[in-house]
Amino acid sequence: MNAIEIANLTKTYGAQRAVDDVSLSVPDGGVCGLLGPNGAGKSTTFKCLLTLARPTSGTIEVAGAPVSPKTFEYLAYVPETSALFSKYTVADHIEATRRAYGTFDVKRAAELAATFKLDSKKRIGKLSKGQRTAVAIVLAFAIRPRVLVLDEPASGLDPMFQRAVLDLIIDASAGGASVLFSSHQIGQVERAADSIAVLKGGKLVLRGDIDTLKGDEKIVEAIFSSDAPSPNGLANDPRVRRIERSGRILRLHVASDAAGVANALQSLAPKTVDVFDLSLEDIFLGAVSDGVA
Amino acid sequence: MPALFTVDPRNGVPLYLQLIEQVKRAVALGTLDAGEQLPTVKALAVDLTINPNTVARAYRELERDGIIETSPGRGSFVRSGGVARDAQRAGVDVAEGVLSEAVRESRALGVDAPGQRTLFERAIARWFASEERHPT
Repeated sequence: MNAIEIANLTKTYGAQRAVDDVSLSVPDGGVCGLLGPNGAGKSTTFKCLLTLARPTSGTIEVAGAPVSPKTFEYLAYVPETSALFSKYTVADHIEATRRAYGTFDVKRAAELAATFKLDSKKRIGKLSKGQRTAVAIVLAFAIRPRVLVLDEPASGLDPMFQRAVLDLIIDASAGGASVLFSSHQIGQVERAADSIAVLKGGKLVLRGDIDTLKGDEKIVEAIFSSDAPSPNGLANDPRVRRIERSGRILRLHVASDAAGVANALQSLAPKTVDVFDLSLEDIFLGAVSDGVA
Repeated sequence: MPALFTVDPRNGVPLYLQLIEQVKRAVALGTLDAGEQLPTVKALAVDLTINPNTVARAYRELERDGIIETSPGRGSFVRSGGVARDAQRAGVDVAEGVLSEAVRESRALGVDAPGQRTLFERAIARWFASEERHPT
């Protein structure tokens, strides 16, 4: 069973399609990183998942059932902008969350508050944006939830605390929790997640297991002794995402079977053909660039 | 324990493959002995700050390759019994990867197969000359 299953989700605001037919899933125990430029539809997807916005169409299930009040007994959510009460202190929030969740771990909450150097006597209104994010993170992880949904959990935090968030996600995953989180930092996603989903303009443009994507997505580069010919047969090849031609260099972004594509290029009699690995950042940028077929 | 392995998430090589290579290398070099226990999936994931499922995948493949064995509740160990053979096989695996990369790069530099063979013989002569006393 998948921890989170989003099928054909569409959310329109007037004429604008904020989320357009997006399907993604997080397997039980999996960690999925949701990536995409600003305005790609990440936060709207989260809002629909948390029933804070009503989907125009599509279905969402958490742990095999539609989201209901019962879901929130084991799901924790850290929103993009804090949903805390500015007049109450950090300690008040910890106490209120303890009462609401049977699984709340008070000792863990105190440890986490210390990790993020939070003064529990301070009112939320007196905290910086980063500190408020830290409070939301402390509350979410102290519940020891089975499912975590984190919208930009590290934004506004300094690098040391960003690392602490990363450690928390990895620790939760090792404990069997399932996580869906969005981030602008590919480096974080590369470490914490085992799969990614990339949104662009409300549409899902890429999803998959990170190690599989890294194994499949390659650049095949051929260098010719004179101007590179156009690789006509490969322009519509399903293995080829994009073709760049510049002077004597022909560069193909391939989605699978790089060796086969490299072989096919040999018929054009290039001087050399090379296959290069792509980092997750390259793969992400390739997916959100306009040249994607 | 001090980090026995390192991985580079920014590298285009999948993380689980990086980890497999590191373990094989450690077994081949004897840094990991027969019967020695590997860190748990959780400990190594936390230590390297990488996803635990990625570590678990590397361990599964290492087990399938006969490099390590895992017993439920006890953990993962470098396989004992014929470990010398395993170490040798692990070494050959790593060496094959290194050589293949060297051939690829030499070809990209325009050295054809006969040319590479000559270079390869010369390299072998240089490194094995003193210990095997082969006149070249």
